[in-house]
Amino acid sequence: MKQTQGNNGNKKFGMVINLDLCTGCGSCMVACMAENNVPFKEDETDKLDSITWMRVYKLKNGKSWPNADICYLPRPCMHCGGHGDHGHSPCVSVCPAVATDYSMATGIVSQIYTRCFGCRYCMAACPYHVRYFNWWDPVWPEGMERFLNPDVSVRMRGVVEKCSFCFHRYQLAMNKAFLEGRRVLEEDEYQSACTQACPAGAITFGDLNNPEHAVHQLVQPDPKHAGRPRNPKAFRLLERLETNPKVYYVSSRKWVRQSGDNYLKKEKQKI
Amino acid sequence: MKIDRRSFLSFIVGGAAGTALTPLPWKITDDLSIWSQNWPWTPVPPNGEVTFVNSVCRLCPGGCGITVRKVDARAVKIEGMDGYPVNDGGICPLGLSGLQLLYGPTRIPYPMKRKGNRGDGKWEKISWEKAVSEVVTKLGEIRKNNRPHGLACISESDRGTVAGLMARFMSAFGSQNFIRQPSMEDSYELALYLMHGIRAEAGFDIENAAFVLSFGSGVIEGWGSPVRMFRANSKLIKTGGKVVQIEARLSKSAAKSDKWIPINPGTETALALAMAHVIIKEGLYNKDFIENHAFGFEDWTDGQGNKQQGFKSLVTATYAPENVAEATGVEKAVIVSLARHFARASKPLAICGRGQGRTSSAIGEFLAVQALNALVGNINQEGGFHAISDNDYIDWPEIETDQIASNGLQNGRLDEAGSENYASVRYLPHRFFENIIAETGYPIQVLFAAGANPLYSLPDTKAVKAALDKVPFIVSFSSFMDETAQYSDIILPDHTYLERYEDVPTPIGLQKPIIGLTRPVVSPQLDTKHLGDVILGIAKGLGGSMAQAFPWKSYEACLEKTLGRKLDTLLDKGYWSPAVFSVPEWIKAFETASGKFEFVVSDQDGNGDRKTKPIADWYTGVESQGDPVTYPLLLIPYDSMRLVNGFVGDPPFVIKTVEDTVLKGKDVFIEINPKTAKQLGLSEGKYARLTTPKGNAKVRVHLFEGIKEGIIALPRGLGHTAYDSYIADKGVNYNELIGAVYDPVSGLDAAWGIRAKLGKA
Amino acid sequence: MSASEEQNSPEAEAPDEEEMDVETSEPIEPLKPEEGKNGAGATIFLFFILGFAASLIVGWVVFPKLLYSKKIQPINFNHALHVAEAAEGCESCHYFREDGSFSGVPTISHCIECHENVNGEDPEEKKFVREYVEAGKEVPWLIYAKQPASVFFSHAAHVITAKMECVACHGPIGESTETRIYEENRLTGYSRDIWGKNISGIKQHSWERMKMDDCADCHMQKATSEKESGVQQSLTRQLREMVSVAFPNVMEVKKGSSVQTEKDACFVCHK
Repeated sequence: MKQTQGNNGNKKFGMVINLDLCTGCGSCMVACMAENNVPFKEDETDKLDSITWMRVYKLKNGKSWPNADICYLPRPCMHCGGHGDHGHSPCVSVCPAVATDYSMATGIVSQIYTRCFGCRYCMAACPYHVRYFNWWDPVWPEGMERFLNPDVSVRMRGVVEKCSFCFHRYQLAMNKAFLEGRRVLEEDEYQSACTQACPAGAITFGDLNNPEHAVHQLVQPDPKHAGRPRNPKAFRLLERLETNPKVYYVSSRKWVRQSGDNYLKKEKQKI
Repeated sequence: MKIDRRSFLSFIVGGAAGTALTPLPWKITDDLSIWSQNWPWTPVPPNGEVTFVNSVCRLCPGGCGITVRKVDARAVKIEGMDGYPVNDGGICPLGLSGLQLLYGPTRIPYPMKRKGNRGDGKWEKISWEKAVSEVVTKLGEIRKNNRPHGLACISESDRGTVAGLMARFMSAFGSQNFIRQPSMEDSYELALYLMHGIRAEAGFDIENAAFVLSFGSGVIEGWGSPVRMFRANSKLIKTGGKVVQIEARLSKSAAKSDKWIPINPGTETALALAMAHVIIKEGLYNKDFIENHAFGFEDWTDGQGNKQQGFKSLVTATYAPENVAEATGVEKAVIVSLARHFARASKPLAICGRGQGRTSSAIGEFLAVQALNALVGNINQEGGFHAISDNDYIDWPEIETDQIASNGLQNGRLDEAGSENYASVRYLPHRFFENIIAETGYPIQVLFAAGANPLYSLPDTKAVKAALDKVPFIVSFSSFMDETAQYSDIILPDHTYLERYEDVPTPIGLQKPIIGLTRPVVSPQLDTKHLGDVILGIAKGLGGSMAQAFPWKSYEACLEKTLGRKLDTLLDKGYWSPAVFSVPEWIKAFETASGKFEFVVSDQDGNGDRKTKPIADWYTGVESQGDPVTYPLLLIPYDSMRLVNGFVGDPPFVIKTVEDTVLKGKDVFIEINPKTAKQLGLSEGKYARLTTPKGNAKVRVHLFEGIKEGIIALPRGLGHTAYDSYIADKGVNYNELIGAVYDPVSGLDAAWGIRAKLGKA
Repeated sequence: MSASEEQNSPEAEAPDEEEMDVETSEPIEPLKPEEGKNGAGATIFLFFILGFAASLIVGWVVFPKLLYSKKIQPINFNHALHVAEAAEGCESCHYFREDGSFSGVPTISHCIECHENVNGEDPEEKKFVREYVEAGKEVPWLIYAKQPASVFFSHAAHVITAKMECVACHGPIGESTETRIYEENRLTGYSRDIWGKNISGIKQHSWERMKMDDCADCHMQKATSEKESGVQQSLTRQLREMVSVAFPNVMEVKKGSSVQTEKDACFVCHK
């Protein structure tokens, strides 16, 4: 995993979510919770303190009946590369504890729970609300802690957590590769839990730097413009902030693409 | 030497200086920080060897293949099984949460007997021997009194070996009262019986269809086998297939379809017939099929020599698009264009069954939709409608009933299914409970609830409860403390699906037969017993012909014997499907009196419930309950993948995904058009009192532009009173607000909504 | 003194004042107090030394004894004997699983391959067979190398890919003929082996401590190809880091994949 070949050897794991296929069923949310030991409370209807690394938002086109339309948008961590893709993500830049850092080797923004002391600067900095604070110690009803996944550590009260693109799956896949004398993973060896679970096949995950990977082919990231999609139906959230997210969305509906940023009326025409 | 203050301070300073030169402060600081990062009350899941077990999910009729990841003896994650024909790796939120049910607090840990009044929640732990012998004694008594028909059983399914054993038990015992929970299967089975002349399951080759016309079916909301439907929908989108959703409300399926046609709820039959009108008028129907393989299209003469109206003249006379435009709320031009697109599509397919299809519907609606399929000639064609019969792998010896049983069976079913009036229909659960309350027929003395939760999932919960109050002995076989288990007298808890073997017959709606195998992923975690073994145990306890009817040593032995060589394939691959399978050609597909597809479903000799009735009587829908003056609004339910609506409730993970515009705290939101809300003086988030002819509830208001003025919608799957604190007492159970509405020709519950009013609370 | 007393004896006070002036003027710079000061200084210094010495004893001798509780392994295991018998050395029992994960301490199911019945005369073996094998119970081994839940360590990466010897981290445990006392840190609950046998923190061998810095030592060594050890190594490393931060252009430090720490990203070892 050490950077040995300069930028060429670096991976840039990213996700493409096809909003035409997404049914809004919530499998990605639950797969994520089950994979990553995400805690739950009796009442999770206050969405401000409900920890969902992956959250499905409901978008509306704002029109009245019968022209109303809705669309669902799953939102994991965007793993922003920051302006110019130098790794200065909004959250990484503000963390005073080096509890979150940007990995050039994988393009993943990490979160180290034992390092975090809960100041929540990163939450304020993140424009996508992907970060969640543990206001309480996690509690599993008696016996239910038996399904906890040993590959992901359980978080305690007072720390921030967020989507890791299931980095532990990368580590485990690398273990297997090492055993087999390899140092490179096949595309399907490392897939996030949400990608694997999605019953509609709406999520694609892979290396955006690798032209052979489906994610690259789907969005055709433009390296001259920090990975902006060349596929006209693809977009990223809040593109103009230049946070350079690694999660792309594809939609054939214009109003959905326009919901990706706060556009002025005249700007909207171009989307 | 005097130790004064200064000496003491010096000692302290010396000590401090010395301490700084020891590891003590640094080590303690370090260790404390490690300690504070590893609180002893934060669980550390133990690591171990990772293994994977393939099985089949049993939490809904979808029958998805699952792969469970285990770490040593613990099951840690459920994933979709790659390559499984139904879901190929995909999985739904409920399937993913199965471990919360396995390890959760809603499990019933051991056999229990009621203490105190019913529903008090006071239980006494009893041994399995005692539990079985209690049931045996009760059953022995009613047999001794020559009233075996006083035993009834309500079950989630009637297919597969476990349901088969239960049904066999009922027959051997001498009771016909085996009842299946209602679903769209009731209506589809009946439609197939009437039109195709066969007892079969509806199969939909959606993956290969080019134009899917959905009459309110929640294609991506859990209709049929949910994950399979999601995958089929994705395939349609990728291959350019079209989906048109006809539905009163902008559901997810409607939003994701290529075209959403808002319709007034309950007028689907009329719309389908108006489309048929256009197709026939414009000659767009499949002439080969209609002329050579269908009967009743033209007018015909019955056995008595009377002229009878055929389908063609029915729709041409009555269902011109302009005649139904107002009632359905769909413009004439839209109907005409829709009919043309449907008929001209290369592989059109019409489907029905509202929402997730967890209720039965008016048979007229299913007949009308199936008539559309017949008109375009897609029956048993690629991308069309397939009739599948798959239950032939269960081939058990005939039951030799004793005199008591034979007498009991003479009494017929309490729900009147199969009787003179409802000869073709198989189960009428709501009528069963109604007859118990009305004390018609004969009294039910013992009720088995197996994998079914009627006290929550049947319409008019109050009436179901009143009926249960009249049954002196209720036996629950539930694994979970659901509403019915809570209201039973004795519980003989079943293993969960992750702890037992069971065959899984073809999932609902699949276009080809397949058998899956559920197998133990973990050893039984609690003192539970396989339902199959419990049935065998009770039968043995009763002795005589009952014991003889069950010659197997154990359920596993029975399963082995039943599946034979298929079991090897099942254990190896996880599923079995016939090497070669094709649905029969038209010439062999229909077993009706005419040997053809029948548009007109009256019996030509005038027998039973199919005695010659004018065709117009069959092709009708039903009205909603309640008078429009007192109840100016229409309440309809909606289904969601995030709200589980079967025999289990939402596990904690799934209820967590529910939006805060559906549930907030313990309050459920009712969807209402902003204009209607304004007229009622209601605004977003306000509390309101919802009243229907069946009950009332306090709800909150959510303004939604995707619903027509005058219609309000409530989600199904909330309002549980049982299970755990993660789900109990949240929201309102839709079934408390609605009652059954009988379809006059079939007797099925056809309620699709109810009239309601909404006022400030 | 109250005002009434002053009025009662105005005359008697005057001579006293004079006398007192004489007497009090003397001790301003007297000899005695100077001697006393020297004496007191010695006492104070003595007490300083006493305190100093006592704290050294407490810190270096008493504290380590108090900090660790001593535990005895459930079975006295002879590694040397087993290594001699086993065909594949350490890997006979501590092997890699097919998925690349490391099995760690063997379970009963593995031991049973040889110890289904008592093979020899050793009372410990008898105890093992009777209490664990026959009872079908796992042995509650106390694991010297057990790391906190927040640590991810890939044996595959180190043993297979980097071809490291087990000894490098675990020491010559394979040569031991009996199990050591397990010293458990009363505060953290982890083994003393993790922090190091030597309370000063100075290690003679690479296997004497298993903390994050020890990982870093080795990884830095690898990166700079220098053979240093113990304090020297760690000091030069820190010096080099300080120099590189202060004068970024003077010294070239090999950068890792993390943008923030310029080392490997935190989540490579933390989960």
